[in-house]
Amino acid sequence: MESFRKIVGKSNVLTEYEDRYCYAYDATAIGDRLYLPDAVILPETTEQISKILKTANENKIPIVVRGAGTNLVGGCLPLKGGMVLHLSKMNKIINVDKNNLQCVVQPGVTVEKVQQEVQKRDLFYPPDPASLRVSTIGGSIAQSSGGPRGFKYGTTKDYVLALEAVLPDGAIIKTGGKTAKNVTGYNLTQLLTGSEGTLAVITEATLRLIPEPEERKVLLACFESIEMAAEAVTGMIYAGITPSTLDLMDKNTMQTIEKFHKTGLPTDMEAVLVLEADGFKESVEKQAEQIIKICKELGAKNIRSSQNQQEADEIWFARRSAFGAVSRLRPNVLTEDAVVPRDKVPDMVKEIRRIADKYSLTVCIMGHIGDGNIHPNFSLDLRDKDEAERFKKAADELFDAALSLGGTLSGEHGIGAEKLPYMKKALDKRSLELMKSIKSAFDPDNILNPGKVV
Amino acid sequence: MKKLRDYSEEIYKCTKCGLCQAVCPIFLETGLETSVSRGKFTILNGIINGHLKLNKKIGKYLEMCLGCRACFDFCPAGINAEEIIYAARAEYAEKYGVNPIKKLAIVTLNLIQGLRRSGSKRSSHSFMRFRVKPGMTGSGKIAYFPGCFDTSAKAVKTVLEKNGYDVYIPKGFSCCGMAARSAGDINTFNKLMQNNISKIPEDTEFILTECASCGSAWQDYPENIAKKAINIYKFLDKTDIYIPENAKYNKTVTWHDPCHLARFQKVSGEPRNILKKIPGIKFVEMEEPGKCCGAAGTFCITNSKVSLAVSKSKAKNIISTKADIVATGCSGCKIGIAQGLAGLGKIKPIVSSIEILAELYSQE
Ligand SMILES: Cc1cc2nc3c(=O)[nH]c(=O)nc-3n(C[C@H](O)[C@H](O)[C@H](O)COP(=O)(O)OP(=O)(O)OC[C@H]3O[C@@H](n4cnc5c(N)ncnc54)[C@H](O)[C@@H]3O)c2cc1C
Ligand code: SF4
Ligand code: SF4
Repeated sequence: MESFRKIVGKSNVLTEYEDRYCYAYDATAIGDRLYLPDAVILPETTEQISKILKTANENKIPIVVRGAGTNLVGGCLPLKGGMVLHLSKMNKIINVDKNNLQCVVQPGVTVEKVQQEVQKRDLFYPPDPASLRVSTIGGSIAQSSGGPRGFKYGTTKDYVLALEAVLPDGAIIKTGGKTAKNVTGYNLTQLLTGSEGTLAVITEATLRLIPEPEERKVLLACFESIEMAAEAVTGMIYAGITPSTLDLMDKNTMQTIEKFHKTGLPTDMEAVLVLEADGFKESVEKQAEQIIKICKELGAKNIRSSQNQQEADEIWFARRSAFGAVSRLRPNVLTEDAVVPRDKVPDMVKEIRRIADKYSLTVCIMGHIGDGNIHPNFSLDLRDKDEAERFKKAADELFDAALSLGGTLSGEHGIGAEKLPYMKKALDKRSLELMKSIKSAFDPDNILNPGKVV
Repeated sequence: MKKLRDYSEEIYKCTKCGLCQAVCPIFLETGLETSVSRGKFTILNGIINGHLKLNKKIGKYLEMCLGCRACFDFCPAGINAEEIIYAARAEYAEKYGVNPIKKLAIVTLNLIQGLRRSGSKRSSHSFMRFRVKPGMTGSGKIAYFPGCFDTSAKAVKTVLEKNGYDVYIPKGFSCCGMAARSAGDINTFNKLMQNNISKIPEDTEFILTECASCGSAWQDYPENIAKKAINIYKFLDKTDIYIPENAKYNKTVTWHDPCHLARFQKVSGEPRNILKKIPGIKFVEMEEPGKCCGAAGTFCITNSKVSLAVSKSKAKNIISTKADIVATGCSGCKIGIAQGLAGLGKIKPIVSSIEILAELYSQE
């Protein structure tokens, strides 16, 4: 411990029980399981992280990196004790380069802060996890997070150009480069993106930016069934329209939101699509017209379209309230993240409902229908052992359902500790072996986030 | 007052989503999980389930809250950290006593009131009827509670009189009790409250406050009294405010929302409306006008370093507006803003909107 204190200074190493108790969790509902770290370290520079990792590696001390601790898969849980590296003090934007459409940032800066800073220069960083006000660039790269805009703009992985990272032995590597294209050797940048803190500690990121769209319009289209909503989505794809957002909320979600915030959602409808069109002013108008036409033809009962920013904000507020509203129903929320091919969404929704009914669980379904990424939010009380047990069984069946529909475990939340048991089902043996050997090539002594992903 | 244990379900409801990190001014300065509501709820939950004991270390963490309620407005689960942390502080105070610095501050505040009481000639004992205005149905009698730092009392009197109201400032008020309440010193709070209530004549229709903290303290008094208490900006905004002809206030003004006004009393549009009605004023909004000023009563004494950092971040937003004047409605915020501006080497007049109105009237 003394050597860590020497590296970062006494006040940046926390060892009291109470301190460690506040680093034994992330946003994952884990009931009464308790994983205490031995200490929490708050580094301020890459060099400090390099020294910390070198020391930890020599002494085989586990290292768990923490950004904002908002992941939903137990990624920040110190399963084997060791040190938590909390990067909240490395939160600076180093530069925004408009000419080259990129910016360089430290890992602890929030996604929202990056978006705000680049927007001041008419630039746009599209990845938008619903947690963007707090989730960090480091954490979102480590999870390759996505959001509603994924349909048109892709996810975090599509915006990482270069990384600086520290390996377990303390070596500092730079992957990728300043250029928009790069095929020099294996793509280590993409390997670290989504590596969930198991391969290296990301200490700096160069992000790709695009010009800020001139205009945005949000539409809310209501349908009498999820199938109809899904057909409307297919209709749009056939018509060659690419809305920036294609999100879905089911009846239960709307009713739950309306219980706590009056946002004027149609609670008598089975499904609502939240659509956003962006681009040049004229093009947005045209897209919106076409979207309305298609939705109407395919049975939309009612379409609300934002006339100004305030109305757009209202619709977004309703969508972003979803998680919050669910969390007011019962004390714990467990969000699943399975993803299926787009045309299998109605089947998946049916399966989710069937399974929830079978185990008497309350579920609100929402998600990125354009990506086939559906989030059933289960609202329950983990202190009720029977309910917790039922949820476990339901989750097992849910994954089986996703796999049998040609989907996979996770679209954007990652594997972490919570989904690890399902990896064998989702991947073939050789792929898993390959992943394990990649892990040991980076981290032979398994000190980085042990017990996660592979 | 509810006890910590009465909140155990509320505390358990924290889903640990971590969104409170976006708004907690203390977390934004310290970057420590222990200082954000999520961390505090984890600790309190630990106390309730027996993992932790309410010790001095935890007492220190409980101090790390401005009571600004920013997280309450933002928390998806709708948990009120401020209320729960105050309950925990009260429990802590029962065990270890009230923080001595805070105790000193509470005593000092009462002393100020005591001194002022003895020298005060302001109070007039006779109520006067005034023009009955829309929204008033009762006796029409108004009492004004000036609070400990009643820098605006004279202005309040001028403004109310110009608008056709007569005010009565009862003698013998004590401190509103907010400082005691936030320190977990419930006994003192109750004593102060009882004294203040006893000074209000039975047939008073409105008890006006200007200072935001005093106003929200009165909201915590028993309901029959609390419902009479109203913030002066809310009160005036309902009326057709008097604007003298030819008077002008040619300054650029920005408004800081006191936590105890915007979030505790839900008053934020009203003071802006009033400012915008003043001829000559150029009103500019600062970024994050509702972010806490960092003073938070005794917090600026007990945790001066963090307090100053929060104040400076407020001051930066103020300076960026290039406003000549900062207007606000809380004596505590004036301290916070002043300390922040000073920390950045700037000085700007910090006044309440009532004082601006009074100045406008003085041009007549
Ligand atoms: C309310 C809510 C809504 C959410 N919505 C979405 C959503 O819409 N889309 C989505 O994809 N996710 C969502 N999430 C999940 C989560 O917010 C994202 O995964 C987020 O990007 C994680 O960022 P973080 O900073 O909190 O990372 P953390 O939770 O702190 O860390 C995540 C993982 O990354 C590792 N890590 C963190 N920083 C580094 C680093 N610098 N170097 C190496 N490894 C690192 C950690 O060890 C951990 O394994 C949501 C979560 C919540 C609570
Ligand atoms: S925002 Fe509310 S529910 Fe979420 S972690 Fe903070 S206190 Fe808990
Ligand atoms: S009340 Fe304010 S200072 Fe206290 S925890 Fe909430 S946001 Fe932080």
